[in-house]
Formats: sequence, structure tokens, C-alpha cells
Amino acid sequence: MAALMATGMQLFTSCGDDFLEKPALGALDPTLVANKAGVEALLIGAYAALDGQGNGAAITGGGQWEAAPTNWIYGSVAGGDAHKGSSGSDQPAINAIANFITDPSNGFVNTKWRAMYEGISRTNSVLTLLAEAKDISEDDAKRLAAEARFLRGHYYFELKKMFNMVPWIDETTTDINQPNNVDIWPNIEADFKFAMENLPNSQAQVGRANKWAAAAYLGKTYMYEHEFADAKTIFDEVIGSGVTSNGLKYGLVDRFKDNFDASAENNKESVFAIQMVANDGTNTISNANQGEMLNYPYNSPFRCCGFYQPTLDLANSYQTDAQGLPLVESYNADPLKNDQGVSSDVTFTPDQQSVDPRLDWTVGRRGIPFLDWGLHPGQAWIREQNTAGPYSAKKHIYWQATADTYSDQHSWAPGSAINVLIIRFADVLLMAAEAEAQLGNLEQAQTYVDMVRARAAKPENIVYQYVDPSKPLAGFSSTPAATYNVAAYPTGYFAGLGKDQALRAIYFERKLELALEGHRFFDLVRWGIAEEELNEFFAYEGAIIPDVRGAKFTAGTNEYYPIPQRQIDLQTINGVSTLTQNPGYVQ
Amino acid sequence: MKQRYFSTWMLTQRSHLKTLPQKKVLALLLAAACLSQSPVQADAAANNAGALLYYTEDGAFDLGNVFFQGTEVRGRVTGDDGQGVPGATVVVKGTAVGTATDAEGNFTLGVPSGSGTLVVSFIGYKTQEVQINNRTNVNVTLSTDAQALDEVVVTGYAVQEKKDLTGSVAVVDVSEMTKQPSPQVASMLQGRAAGVTVQGSGQPGQAQQIRIRGFNTFGNNSPLYVVDGVPTQNINDINPNDIASMQVLKDAGSASIYGSRAANGVVIITTRGGGKEKVTVQYDGYYGTQRPPQGNVWDLANPQEMADLTFRALRNTEPGEPIEHPIYGSGANPVVPDYLVAGTATGLMEGDPRVDPNLYNVNPSYTGGSGDLGSFYRIVKANKEGTDWFHEIFKPAPITSHNIAVSGGSDIGKYYFSANYFDQKGTLLETYFKRFTIRSNSQFNLGKKVRVGENLAYSVIDNPLLDLSGESPINMAYREQTIIPVYDIMGNYGGSFGGGLGNARNPVAQLQRRRNNNTLNTRLFGNVFAEADILRDFTLRTSFGGEMYNNTNRSFTFPEYEGSENNTFNQFEQNGNNGYNWTWTNTLAYHRNFNDVHDLRVLVGTEAYDNFSNNLGGISQGYFSYDPNFTDLSTDAGSQTNTSSRSADALFSLIGRIDYNLMDKYLVGFVIRRDGSSRFLNNQYGTFPAVSAGWRISQETFMQNIAWISDLKLRGGYGVMGNQLNVDPGNAFTTYGQDRNLSFYDINGTNTSTTLGFRRSRIGNPDAKWETNVNSNIGIDATLFNGALDVTADYYHKEIRDLLYNPELPGTAGGATIPFVNVAKIQNRGFDGAVTGHIQATSDLRFDITGTLTTYKNEILKVSNGAQNFDQETRRFNGSYIIRNRVGDAMSSFFGYQIDGFWDDEAEIIAANQQAQAESGDPNAIYQTDVKVGRFRYADIDGDGMITPDDRTILGSPNPNFTYGLNIAATYKNFDFTMFLYGSQGNEIWNQVKWWTDFYPNFAGAKSKTAVYDSWTPENHNATAPIQEAEGSFSTTTVPNSYYVEDGSYLRAKNVQLGYTLPAGFTGKYGVERLRIYIQGANLFTITNYSGVDPEITGYNTDGTIKTSNFGIDEGNYPNMRQYLFGVNVSF
Repeated sequence: MAALMATGMQLFTSCGDDFLEKPALGALDPTLVANKAGVEALLIGAYAALDGQGNGAAITGGGQWEAAPTNWIYGSVAGGDAHKGSSGSDQPAINAIANFITDPSNGFVNTKWRAMYEGISRTNSVLTLLAEAKDISEDDAKRLAAEARFLRGHYYFELKKMFNMVPWIDETTTDINQPNNVDIWPNIEADFKFAMENLPNSQAQVGRANKWAAAAYLGKTYMYEHEFADAKTIFDEVIGSGVTSNGLKYGLVDRFKDNFDASAENNKESVFAIQMVANDGTNTISNANQGEMLNYPYNSPFRCCGFYQPTLDLANSYQTDAQGLPLVESYNADPLKNDQGVSSDVTFTPDQQSVDPRLDWTVGRRGIPFLDWGLHPGQAWIREQNTAGPYSAKKHIYWQATADTYSDQHSWAPGSAINVLIIRFADVLLMAAEAEAQLGNLEQAQTYVDMVRARAAKPENIVYQYVDPSKPLAGFSSTPAATYNVAAYPTGYFAGLGKDQALRAIYFERKLELALEGHRFFDLVRWGIAEEELNEFFAYEGAIIPDVRGAKFTAGTNEYYPIPQRQIDLQTINGVSTLTQNPGYVQ
Repeated sequence: MKQRYFSTWMLTQRSHLKTLPQKKVLALLLAAACLSQSPVQADAAANNAGALLYYTEDGAFDLGNVFFQGTEVRGRVTGDDGQGVPGATVVVKGTAVGTATDAEGNFTLGVPSGSGTLVVSFIGYKTQEVQINNRTNVNVTLSTDAQALDEVVVTGYAVQEKKDLTGSVAVVDVSEMTKQPSPQVASMLQGRAAGVTVQGSGQPGQAQQIRIRGFNTFGNNSPLYVVDGVPTQNINDINPNDIASMQVLKDAGSASIYGSRAANGVVIITTRGGGKEKVTVQYDGYYGTQRPPQGNVWDLANPQEMADLTFRALRNTEPGEPIEHPIYGSGANPVVPDYLVAGTATGLMEGDPRVDPNLYNVNPSYTGGSGDLGSFYRIVKANKEGTDWFHEIFKPAPITSHNIAVSGGSDIGKYYFSANYFDQKGTLLETYFKRFTIRSNSQFNLGKKVRVGENLAYSVIDNPLLDLSGESPINMAYREQTIIPVYDIMGNYGGSFGGGLGNARNPVAQLQRRRNNNTLNTRLFGNVFAEADILRDFTLRTSFGGEMYNNTNRSFTFPEYEGSENNTFNQFEQNGNNGYNWTWTNTLAYHRNFNDVHDLRVLVGTEAYDNFSNNLGGISQGYFSYDPNFTDLSTDAGSQTNTSSRSADALFSLIGRIDYNLMDKYLVGFVIRRDGSSRFLNNQYGTFPAVSAGWRISQETFMQNIAWISDLKLRGGYGVMGNQLNVDPGNAFTTYGQDRNLSFYDINGTNTSTTLGFRRSRIGNPDAKWETNVNSNIGIDATLFNGALDVTADYYHKEIRDLLYNPELPGTAGGATIPFVNVAKIQNRGFDGAVTGHIQATSDLRFDITGTLTTYKNEILKVSNGAQNFDQETRRFNGSYIIRNRVGDAMSSFFGYQIDGFWDDEAEIIAANQQAQAESGDPNAIYQTDVKVGRFRYADIDGDGMITPDDRTILGSPNPNFTYGLNIAATYKNFDFTMFLYGSQGNEIWNQVKWWTDFYPNFAGAKSKTAVYDSWTPENHNATAPIQEAEGSFSTTTVPNSYYVEDGSYLRAKNVQLGYTLPAGFTGKYGVERLRIYIQGANLFTITNYSGVDPEITGYNTDGTIKTSNFGIDEGNYPNMRQYLFGVNVSF
């Protein structure tokens, strides 16, 4: 009988084979993508990973803000530009980052890591299927490869500055368990160089990287490598000949705020930006600067969530002297008056001390027009003043007049169409200034810094009172909202300071100009002054605001984030991890 | 040798029904059901008689080739109650001559000679042999066989008598089960089948968490249900009244015949069939009420206590600093205000001009987005007594069920028809479960050798399940501060708007805004079958069955205005999914008995399964009106988004089964199944064999003298089962795809639109193969003291090898869907047993008591090639996880820091730090981060003198040491009483509710009296909670620690029922055959130390289904409610 059954089974075995053929539905087989149209779409997909975002989550899971492309947590909060904000127990992982007690198992760094490698994986998909496609001209192939490698350079740059030692995966890699024992700066350089050499000056679509974006990013790479001569060479070229993807000669826009206004984006200052979209038909904010969703004033027209509150230290930095120059060494000595502990019901007059007008495009403070949303009411918009201070962040805020177009309310917190500027021309000028100063060319360095300060000093950049504070949309009067005074440095000023002091002035200018744009922490590390600056910051700020009280930056460890423990655990061969933890973190 | 059941078995049993114990009624029904299912089943029952019978269309007996010659014997078969037994089998021993008794128990049989022996048998009675001794009139009295060893058990593609089972099969006492009404079939399994662990929630219509013998996978651990021979994963819509029998196949010996799909165990359900010549109409109905628990269930502080706590926490954090609180003011002591909010002002007193109602301006149906929202002027009065949010959202709710069943039959066939209307309102606002089902089971005899039939059920369900996976309205009910009223001064919702009131949402508003959400789910489920007897000993059967379903749900999202984090959009969403799957089974069965010594059954067959599903959905916004009669996907003014997807998979299987029985003592079973799955590409087929054996020791001659052992059987089995349930149909393929949210980009810089982009969407694994569940089982079945005691006990061990799991890949792999690979390994061991006692105390009083015990010990042996663990459930500890699945531990274990008391003074801290510095040699070393007096001290688990991530440890497990059920049934005259107790022992619960209520800084929500009165203070070192502060810290609330782990053991009175059957003489006058009324209480009491609302914790997936892995976290469970029912059973 068993034999009979066995025979029966033999007979039946082959019957089911066709029946069991069920190909994947609603998805593309690789052979359908390995052609020009397919690879072009893969490249768009590689751009789409720039925002690090998916629907209601980061692109590969985790909180949206954990992979925010602005690096507001890793660059600005960690750099002392801002407090986490909100209430004490909301998103406690950020508290750890802000206090430099980040544990390798902190989920945030893992989210960022994974989001960046998803971007890298997409660029590698472009390169892999490009090689398989038969219908792509040589020119197109070069451009496609160059754009893909530009993006890959960007993703690795993000990883490199955060984690230092990271594994390199490219289109030729077969084993994803690559070790992190090699410095990848040369690889990043190679990607940007290839991009620079093979990309056109301008592109048909403004969102694409062009030759000059690649050049500027290469210059930035040299700055991180402290190769100042190489940096100067390339910045000279960028400043002299660079144009935007849409063919505009690089320059500073007159209105500082245009850098942060969706209606004025992709202007001549935009070297490379992540294109954000509002109301794109998805009924989600996944393509709408979602990483900033927490960072709007609380109990306000923006609804949620009261994170990202500029520090007292940052606000104080914008104070100017009678000449309109910054108080580089003494800005905290006589702090800017603020409304900490003052109810919104109680009258409060803003400080009359003279300030750089960039303050009021960067920091939302009581009594000053908050764009066209009305006077910032102070405590009423702050979730917990006693946790994170009196200020609100301003650069990512959309305007009320154009909110229907540029804000996206399809979620529990807003999104916006405001682009994320990866590199803007002011950044290039200040990096060039640094390179020049490092090379001893203090005069040229000052020229660049003064270009930035001169723009700030333009009357367009004064914040004016409303015509009628109860009708903020009715427009602004000609009365400045505060005492503004900013000016270029007097001729020969840097030369008088000498190299070290001039560098300090350049660094300070960078703080003022690029505050809350995700650069500060990485700059401090790059300059080698993170320990000194941050511990000084903690001493000052922690005495007033409890969320950073007692925090300490430990040199030799905190320059880089820990390699995510999860990745160390996952990347193993025969039970041995191929990843090495950064120094000073729990192994 | 041919054997046949015939419909005289199913003659009217009017008299019978009134007197036979329920179990026998069941047996009759069961027999009918069996007949419709499988010829083998019929064989099994008939074989007991050891004879063969033929039956022709005209009702006469056809004795085949045997020429009738000899004498005629007449007689009557009666039971021990004196009533005639209809349908009993009477055969002449050793021949093919036999008949069955008529409605009154009479029979007439021509016997070859007057010296033979008659063998008389019937289900539920002991088989009797009577010598004819040349009599022409032979009356036989059968005695009841309480333990019903002859009970027919439906197993894989076959039926067996209980005594012949070699595998581990739990037979559920359906009569007890169905007597105690329950909305769902799955919940009825709780505690009734040894080896089965069931947990459920109070949400109407929510599926139950069912595990058979522990965890088998990190994914779906739900068993396979086989309903009338048709495999399915969904039994939610089955009408419990239609169930005739239920068996749980637990080990490989019994379940491997379902091969690929058997790994999580198999539950075989047979629905009722017809059978009587007379039409019987049965009505069962009940009405009841469900009552939420009373009292302050979360022990929340009142507004004054909350105000005091707030100031205390602020002072603990910033000693000496002046306090400026938006609600409680800036005085030395907090003041509870009269008004919470007026416009943008907060914390106001009566008489303040800003609370003038004329200023009030709120449009609850605003469409103008945040612009409108910003213009509102709210005025909200403080509720100084405190709002009891739990009882604002949980209200008593009715439950009702009406069931009518009609059954009957004749020589040409039989039928069963039922209709059921079930309507359960949830105690939680706007939750409900409405189900309408009809069933039609019928069978037709085409001549004497061919039968065809069908079992079909159609269900219509409206059950908009509330998503309880994350922070649900229940969670909001303990987070929303008690000072907040449900409604503001004008009757619109009150909420947390205004500052100082946290960010919780008004749960009443949340639930009432769901009021127009609904679902329409329809499903046709069943099969058609035909069977034919061919040659001498073969039966060919074909069954084609499956389901077609169509589900639609509509939901509307209202804009909010009352909270601190309001949604401003309005949105309508409609989703539908439909699909089908079918299973076509063809079997050929052979059965032959050789001289009463060898009994051989063989079955071979094929089975094909094909599944297809289709999803379609749309979302839009910008509705002019929120009237539910208006909102459709085409009446919007917003951007429309639509989605659709499909899924398809298939299985093809070959089935073989041999059961051999030697002298009724030695039993051997061999099953094999070869399965092919479309979910695999390079290794489509897997083979799943199992052997089992049984030794009926009590049949041995040396046992015959031991009177107290009626039956004793030793069983053992070993075999392999498979699984592919968790593998996505597209798993084998690397694919690219698009997603507007993930891969589209505004390359043109338009600010308003995106361009098509692709990404790699899935990493394929063409080499995935079947996972194998290697299973061994040893058990005994015993019937003792002449049927007064039945014992079944099993010990099992199973190891799941090549477990299909999709372990996270390194980030360097990118974000595409991760494939399932054969990497993990799990082991389960355990014991399950059931003991049943029957005590006939007096002639009127009888007890039937059943106890079941279930244990499983689960151990993860391997997770992946790299990691030793994977973590789940971060909740509000972002970056840290609550659950760790770690090699060497049980699945879903709780993980974190172990609290070792408080830091009572600075000296303790200094001493610990000095110790840490001494041990580490680092002068800057500290024992623990974020330490302050009054905070938690964590235990240094690894002994390195410092608290590091390595000190995190397993803090508990939601897996119980054992679960148990105790069913006590008593009958006294016309009264019947049952009490069913269920318990779970040794499981822990992660009480995440405490994170919100016991720690002041966690989101300014409502806090518990524990935080107010039992937290650390300089005066109270013997506290429960740590010092109350304004900031969370590592040493209090920001990492998972043992504070949340509680003993979750409980014993619960699931059901207590008292019934009364009206005297037959009385009801008979009105044409009523039987009339029983009862009252029932469910969940009457629970004995537990768990401090939460309900220790029966399951956990939910984001799609609303109950988790079958990572569970046991209570963040606001939908508790099981106390229920009181009144019911009636009538038959005509």
C-alpha cells in the first residue's frame, strides 16, 4: 500500500507546477526597469530619498524628525543653537543627544543611519541598472551616473560627518556586511569630482544637481578634510563662475528671508536644495518638509508641537555694538532681555538693545512680528517655558498669506513647501572665507564675510512693526520692530585681528548666518573647538534652562555619534560584528 | 467489505431527546454531521458493530449476495432509562447480516441460524453481545457509556473513534460550550481544550488571540481552522449555534495530515447537519447587558490633588524658583480656577470679563482650516469635582442574539438551515458588532452509492473596529486631566487647549466622532461535495469549498478644536477589499477489516488551494458638509487619492494516511503530506510525515482483572509539520516599484507636484523553503472507575527549524522589503491535560466536572545569523524597547533596568560613585546617569560597578506558567447549573498605563493617587513611585524599567449559568418539544493582584487584529465586561 501511495505521489507531483506560478503583483521585475525611462525614474527615486521621509514615518521607519534632512537635532540642537523644546518627557532620545549622553542604542541615530543607506542603495540601483540598460546614449549615461554619484556623495557626507567611520557600499558591492575601518573621504571626493566633471552647467529641471553644486560640495568636503588650498581653488571657481541649475549666477539674495520662503526658492543663492512640496495630492505631508513637523509654536495657529526652541545663547549672539559689529567674545555678558517666566497676559516690552536683524528672521521672540502671523505672544505659544526657554524657531515657518499654497495641513502637525538648503551661497562664501583665512589671506576672508554682513544690513532685512498688530496680514509699517544695527567690518579689521581671531569672527558669522540650519555642531567639531564652546554653552545655558543643566561634552568621544548598536548587532559574519564602535562609547 | 450508515439512525428521537443526557443528543447530531462529511467517518462508527449493512432507496435492507435463509428474530433495544433506542445497529456476529432499530427501538432481523450472537451497538452506549439461543424475540438493554469512548472524532480527512486515536487531539465538549452563549467561536475555546491558550478583549467583534502549544513563529501564531473540511484562517463570522463539534489537533501525529499549514495547530470544526425524518425547529435567543467596572479604575487624582502635585513637582525640580502656572496661578499654593480657558487666557475666576459668554465663538464644523481655528474664542469651565473619563466613555450596553434552526431529513437526504441575528453594542461608546448569518447544510442520496451535498454560510457583519494598537481613546481617558469637562459652556467639546492641560484628546469627542463610521462585510463560506462508493472497499470523495468575501468600510475624520494639538482637516476614507479562495480536495479511502484482527484504513488524496484578494480604497478632504448621507469619495473638494493592490498565492498537496489497528489493542497511524507553495520559488515542495502509535493496555488480558481501569491507552507520536503562513506571496522576487510618498520627487521645483520615481521595493529570496516543526508527543488516555473519571494527558516537545522569519537586515541593505529567510529556531515544551469526572450523586443530581491544564515553555534558540535578539514596542521610550526576543528566553519577554530601591540620600549616591570609580579605575566614573535623591536606583546586573546598557535584563514574561479551566456542571431534576472558571498563572503584564499616570513629567496628563500620595518624598522613603519632578530622566521615566512589570495571574469566573427545562408534559401540550430558560453571568468575578483594569491583556496590531506575538502590554486595554444574560432554548 505504501508503495502504491508513493507511486501515486510521483504521478501527482508534476501536476501542480503551473498552478503554483504566482508572480509578484503590482511590482516591476528588474528587466522592466533596465532601460532609459526606468533608470531616469530610479534617479528621481534617488532624489526622493533626500528628505529621508515616508508616510507618517522616516523613509525606513522611525520618527519623521529622526531623519530630518535639516539635521535640526544632530546639527542645531546638539550644537547649542536650540533646545529640544516641548515638554521634558517628549522624545527623550533628543535630551540624550543634547546632553551628550547618547547611548549607542539610541534609536534616533539608527533611523538616520538607515535613511542615509536607503539613499545610497537607491543611487546604487541607478548605477547598476544603468549598466544593464541598452537604450541609453553615452551622454545620458554620463549625466545619470554623475547625478547618482552626486547624491551618493551627499548621503555619505551626511554619514561621515555624523559617524566618522562608516562602511562603504557602492554598485559593485556584493556583501552588505562591509566593515567601517576605512576613511571614506577619498570616496566622497571621488563621487563629487566625477559629478563635477560630468554634470552640465545647468539642468532642464531645477531640482537636479549641476556641475556647480558638485563643485561646492567638493569644496565643502575639502573643508572637512582641512585641505584648505584645494578648497580655496574650488571655491574661487564656484564664486567666480558658478550658476544654479536654472542658470542663475550665484549670489546672495537681497532679502535674507527669501532663503526660507517657498515663494522665493530656487533663487541665485540656492546651490543645492531639497525640493519640498505642499499639497501634492497624497493627502499626507510625506513630501512636505515633514522632518520639521514638530517645530512649530504650540497652542498656536500651527497647532503642534513646540519643539526646537532657540537657546538664550543663540539669541544673545545677535546683539551688536554701536558699530553694528557682533560681540564675538562677550555676547552673553549682558544678555538679551526675554520673557521667561512672564505670562502672556502680563505686559512685556522687547529689549531695545541693538541687534542684528537676522535675529528676528531666525528666533521668534515675544513682541516681535512672527512673520505675518501676528506678534509672538511669548508663553502662550511655548509648551513649557520652564523646560526649554522662551523662544520659537522661525526659519522653517511658512507665511500666513501664502499658507494655503505652501503649508500642508494633512497631518497632526504641519508640513511645508519650504526647501531644505543643503548648501546656499552664503555658506559657500563663509567656507571660502575660512579657507582664505586658514591660508593667511585675511583680507579676502573679510571680503567674503562682509558680503554676508552687507546683505544682512540691507534695509530689506529689517523686521518692521505691523500696521495694525491685530491684523498682521494688513502689512508692515515703516517702524522697525526692534533696534537693528548691523554693518560690514571696517577695512583691514581682520588683518588687525590676526589669523586666529579672524577665524573666530568667521566662525561667529557662520553661527549667526546659518543658525538653525543644521550646521553648528558639525562646524564646531570640524573646527576642533566643540569641547570648549559647548561646555561653555552648557555652563551658561544650563544655569538658566534645566534641560541642558549638568551636560558635558567629552572630547575624543562626542565629536561623533555612536555607531548604532543595532547596526553593530546586525552586521555580523559568523557571529563577529564587522562594525567597530566609535571611541568612548560602550562597546 | 462495505458498510453504510443509514437514515434509520436518524429516526425521530422525540422521546429520546427528552431523556437522554445531552451528550447523547450531541452524538446523534454528530453522527449526522459525520455522514455529511466523510465516508471514513461513517465507517468508523459503523465499524464498531463489526458488521456490514446495505440500504436501498426504498428503505429495505439489501443483504447483498447473502441469500436470506433461516429464522426471523424480533426485539426491542432500550436504554438503561427504559426508552427505546432508535437507530441502534443489530448485526449477527461474524456475518454480513444486520439491521437497525426503528423509531421505537424495535427491530426485525432474519438470522441465518438461531444459534448466533447478536451484536447491538449505538453511539453513547456500551456495545452488547446477546446470544440468540433460538429465541424469536430478543430484547436488549444497553447501558450508557458515560465516557463515550466510541465518540466519533473528526480528524484530518477522516473520523476516528476516540479510543482509536493515536495523535494528541483535544475534543471540545461542544454541548457545554454552546450552552453558554458567546459571540464568537474562538472565545469558546478558552480553557476548554487542554493545550490551547486563548485571550480576548472586550471589544465587540475583535478576534481572539489563540495559541496552541506555545509560539511557533515570530509572526502569525493563529491555528488553521478547518470548517466542514475547508481550511480557513477566519472564523469570526461563524455562528456559534451552528457548531456540532470541535476538535483541536495538537501534535504531528494528528495534524501533519494538514502538513504545510498545521504548524500552529489545527482546529477542526464541523457544523450541524440534518438527520431526523421529522422537521425540528429550534429557537435559541438571549438578551443581556454588559456592565463596565465601577469605581476609579485608574486611581486618578482629583483636580485639587493634581494642582498640589503640580506645584510639588515644580518645586522639586526648581527649588526656590517662583511658580507661574497657566492654570493654578503664581501664588504660594495652587488655586483651582473656575474657568480653564477663555479665548487665549487660562486659569480664570468667575466674574472675569473674559468669561463673558457673548465672546464665545466656536464652530465645531469649521472648514476653514487653521485660519478658522485661530479665530475661535473658547470658554471652558473647570470641573472641580473631576471628570470620570472612564465612565464617560464606558457605559452599560445591551447584547442580544436570536437564532433559529430548522433541520430534518428523509431517505433521500437531510438538511439543516439556520439564521442568526447577533447584535452587541460595546460598552465603549460607538463600538458595536452586528452580525447576520444564514447557513444551509444539506445532503442528497443519489441511489445507494452516491451522495452529494453542500454546507454554505453567508454572513453580513457591521463592525467598525476601533484601532487600539497605539494611543487610543482608552489611553486618552486616563491621560485627559480630570479638571477638563466633557463639554464647554456652550455644549461643544472641552479639551486640553490653553496651556498647562497636557496634550491628550477628549476621548468622548474622539469616540463620538466615529459615530458615522461603519463597515459592511459579507462572506460566503462553505463547500459542495460528492462521494461515491466504488468497488468493494473504496470510497471516492470530492469536495470543493472556500470563501468569497467583500468588505467595505467608511470613516470620517472631523476637524478638532478643543485640544492643544488639533487636526484641522476633514477627511473621508472608504476602503474595500474582496477576494476568494478555494480548496479542492479529492480523496480515495479504503477500509477493510480482516477477521476482526486486522483493521486497515488507507486514504490518499490531493488538495489544491488558490487564493486571490483585491483591495481598493480612496481618501479625500474638503467636504462642504459632514452629513454622513453626503460624504462620498466624489462629493469632496480636496485632492483625491486612491489605492489598490492585489495578492495571490496557491498550494498544491498530496495526502496519504494509513491507520492500522491490530486486535483493537495495537494502533499505528502513518500520515504523509507533500505540499507545494507558490510562495517559494526554488524549493516549492516540502514533505511532512508523521507516525503515531497507541497501545490500549486495558485490552490486554493481564489488565482484565483490574476493575477500576475501564480503558487505558498509551500514545506516542513523532512527525513534522510545516509553515509558510508568514511568507509574503512575492517573497521570492526582487522587484522595483513606485510610491508617491516614498519615491516621487519634485524635480521641477513646482512646490505643488511630484514626478514619478522608482525604488527597489523588495529584496527577493528565491531560496526560501518550508520551515519544519519537528514534533514529538507522548500521552495517555484513561477511563477509570467505570466511566466516572476520564483522564487525558500529554507531554510534548517541538522544535521549529528553518523558521521563516524576516530578520532586519543591516541598514546598508537599504529600505526595501526584507525577505523571509529560513534562519530562526524556536523550541516549545509543555504538558497539557484534562480530567473529567462524572458523579451521579443521587438519581436526580448529577455532576460533570472537567478540568484542563495547559503549559508551554517557549525558548528562542536562534533569531538570525547575526543578531542574538530583536526588540519590539518602543511606545514612549523612544530609542529603547520594552520587548526583547532573545536567544535563550521566551518570546515577547519584557526587558529593561531592574529597580533596586530609591536613592534615599546623597551619601548613597556618593558611595555608589566611589565604588564605581574604584572598580573601573576611572576617577570620573559614576554609578548611574541622571541620579538624584528620590529617583530609582538600578541594579548592577553585570557587576561592573556601573549602570550601563549591559545591565538591562529580562524583567518578566507575558507567557503564563500555566493556564487552566474548570467547568462544573450540575443537573438536578429540571435544573441545570454550570460554572466555568478560567485562570492564567505566572504571566507578567507591562502596565504602561503607569508611565502616564505615575510620573508627573510625562505629558502633563492626569496623574494617579500613587503619584500624589505614594511617591518618594524626604518623609516617605517607603514609596511606590519615585520623586515627582517636572523633568523625566534616565533614572525615572525615560527608559524601560521594572516599575511597569506586574504579576498578571488571574482566575476568572468566565461563565455562571442556571437553567431550567420546563416539564415535557407541560410544554408538550402546546406542541413544544422542549423549552429551557436560563440566566447567565459572564466575568462575574476575577481574582488577581494586577492593578490595571483587566489582566486579560492581548495587544493589537495596527490593523486592529489581536497580536499573536509581542503582547502583554497594557496601555489602555478594552476590558472584558461583566455580562448578565437571560436566554431561552425552544424546540418544536
